[in-house]
Amino acid sequence: MVIMKFTSITKWEFKNTLKSKKFMMIFFLQLSVLFLMIIIFNSFVTNIESDNGISITPSLNGFASMDVLDQSGFISKLINPAVINVIPLSYNSSLNNIADGKITGFLYVSGNVDKKIQLGQTIDMTIYLDSSDPKSSVVRDEVNSTAQIISQSYSNTLSNSAAPQNTSTPTVNQESTGESLPLQIIKKVMLVILLFLPLLLFGNMIIDTVVGEKERKTGEILIAMPMSQAQVIIGKSMAVVLTISLQVAMWLIILLIAGFHIANPLLVFIFIFLTSIPIIGITAVVAAYSKNFKEAGIGLSIAYMGIVGFLIVPVLLYLSRKSFLANISPMTIVMRLFSGESIPLMDYGISLATIFVVSLISYWIAIKLFERDDIMFGPRPGILRLLYDLITFKKF
Amino acid sequence: MVGFGMGSNEVMIKIESLTKSFGRIKALDDLNLEIKRGELLGIIGPNGAGKTTAIRMACCILKPDFGDIKIDGISIHEDPIRIKSMIGYLPEEPNLYERFKAKDLLKYFAELYGVPKNDINGRVEDLLELVGMTERKDDRINTFSKGLRQRISVARALVHDPDIIILDEPTMGLDPATANSIRDFVRNLKGNKTMILCTHYMAEADFLCDRVAILNKGKIIDVGTPAYLKSKIHGDVILKVKIQNLEDVNSYKEKIMKFASVSAVDFIDGEYLISLKYRNEMSEIVDLFGNNVNSINTKEPTLEDVFINTVK
Repeated sequence: MVIMKFTSITKWEFKNTLKSKKFMMIFFLQLSVLFLMIIIFNSFVTNIESDNGISITPSLNGFASMDVLDQSGFISKLINPAVINVIPLSYNSSLNNIADGKITGFLYVSGNVDKKIQLGQTIDMTIYLDSSDPKSSVVRDEVNSTAQIISQSYSNTLSNSAAPQNTSTPTVNQESTGESLPLQIIKKVMLVILLFLPLLLFGNMIIDTVVGEKERKTGEILIAMPMSQAQVIIGKSMAVVLTISLQVAMWLIILLIAGFHIANPLLVFIFIFLTSIPIIGITAVVAAYSKNFKEAGIGLSIAYMGIVGFLIVPVLLYLSRKSFLANISPMTIVMRLFSGESIPLMDYGISLATIFVVSLISYWIAIKLFERDDIMFGPRPGILRLLYDLITFKKF
Repeated sequence: MVGFGMGSNEVMIKIESLTKSFGRIKALDDLNLEIKRGELLGIIGPNGAGKTTAIRMACCILKPDFGDIKIDGISIHEDPIRIKSMIGYLPEEPNLYERFKAKDLLKYFAELYGVPKNDINGRVEDLLELVGMTERKDDRINTFSKGLRQRISVARALVHDPDIIILDEPTMGLDPATANSIRDFVRNLKGNKTMILCTHYMAEADFLCDRVAILNKGKIIDVGTPAYLKSKIHGDVILKVKIQNLEDVNSYKEKIMKFASVSAVDFIDGEYLISLKYRNEMSEIVDLFGNNVNSINTKEPTLEDVFINTVK
């Protein structure tokens, strides 16, 4: 009889969720976002794994232009073409170009630089800048850097001629095994985050069903039903857990079809399903306490920041140090399952114990809050008052 | 306890020393009341008197700070789930799940009340017919007017065929026709069910209830049949005499008070309101005014008079 009541709520809530046009719209919107993310993710990883690599530095091509008068062409070659567009022109026209604002600067190199270096003579360079142009400082810095390179090259030539037996330059060859940490983060963590997303995206459903009872004032008739408040909270929560499971299952199938390698899809699914239970429990605490949707939204944002931190930080800890304690986060276990790692039972135990303890505490608090007259019908006590009641076991 | 019920003498609901506070406000203060099986008890009182708090506690929605309510001998502290299954509760506002269709809403609550699965469809159809909503059974609640919502709410409260029905302001805000249909509905249930009716409409309580309890500041001030309460406050009848010349107003009052049948005399807006315990001396009292009479009327006391007198 008792179980029937709780499952009745779950059944009707789940049925209504699936019937809701709003929900279906969000559901398919999320699926399309997933498709988009898969495409972006795939191209990102392909780029990272390619020989050319990928640059995340913004391009400065054509940032500034400078005329250079250099007979040998030696200096022109040394100026960074990614920053400065070098235009070889005559002396007079270049000065006119600066005056007209067509270029930022003009570099005049006197004589043949090649010959001067060989003869050990001083190289004279004159730079003309349009000071009103903010890019002039970049042009000046680039010319200074070029001068430094020439100076270094000049010193090397002199030292080589003084000790010709030491002309060989030592080279270092690097060979690596395994994936780099950034690649691991992108390939493993990103994928796990993707699968955990539904847990956070559908959490607001419990807010809608619990806070909605207060806002729409339907809570009164629900409490008048021959069932405990515990059954109401559990029944509503399980409907959300079911919805999340459905979404996670679909995401997993899509990822598998898209060619992602997931070593233990069933275990991955079970762990994400189990993780959704305490997350919905924490959300139920926020929902049970909140007076309205606005308050619940603020509470949910704060709670989810904590949840996301609790899930992700141990994952990064595991990647960097292989810390045993990192298994406290179910996300770590899921990531390891993804990679096909052999996971000791103890590591599963830590994660499952966390899920169990957090679930127990969160649902207990949510139920106790929902049972309190002052929270359901007012005047609602403050959080400090509730904490005092919790510590002293008064009304809890 | 004062007054008597229309049902059996068996006590169905017994409220003992019920006390409840919300913060610093004492909503109920040592409330004691008995309701007999099959009786329809009305609870009247001003806003904030504690009516809704009292019935919410009877429905196990709120918990008392002190005291107890026994329903058919079962304490709300012992088995609230059992008590809830015995009660059909219609709250003040007919707030229902907007997304449900009318028939689905009734099926949902039937399931929650534990109505056997095989009986649910038949029960729902019967109730929809009873409240005249069969044609709208496939429509969503959010398309219904307040009156239609109230009809569905009544059906919802009866979906498990409860022994006790508790109605909180069932006709408030409804048009006269819908309000009357709800009143007829309540009247038809009289005698078969034990009912509590909270209302602001004194005429409704007078017309429907076997007994009426007047609640003020969390306490029962008086309880009894409507006739008993009316006779207690004003006697049998109020004689209204409007006079022409106001100069001798005070001399009349002294003379009127000498009659044995007079229980109270008030002078409001040029009119004497004389409460009489019996009618025998009515003509003699009127004779006192001689030609100074503008108009003479009699008025039967109503529950509204009782209410105003009691809670003022």
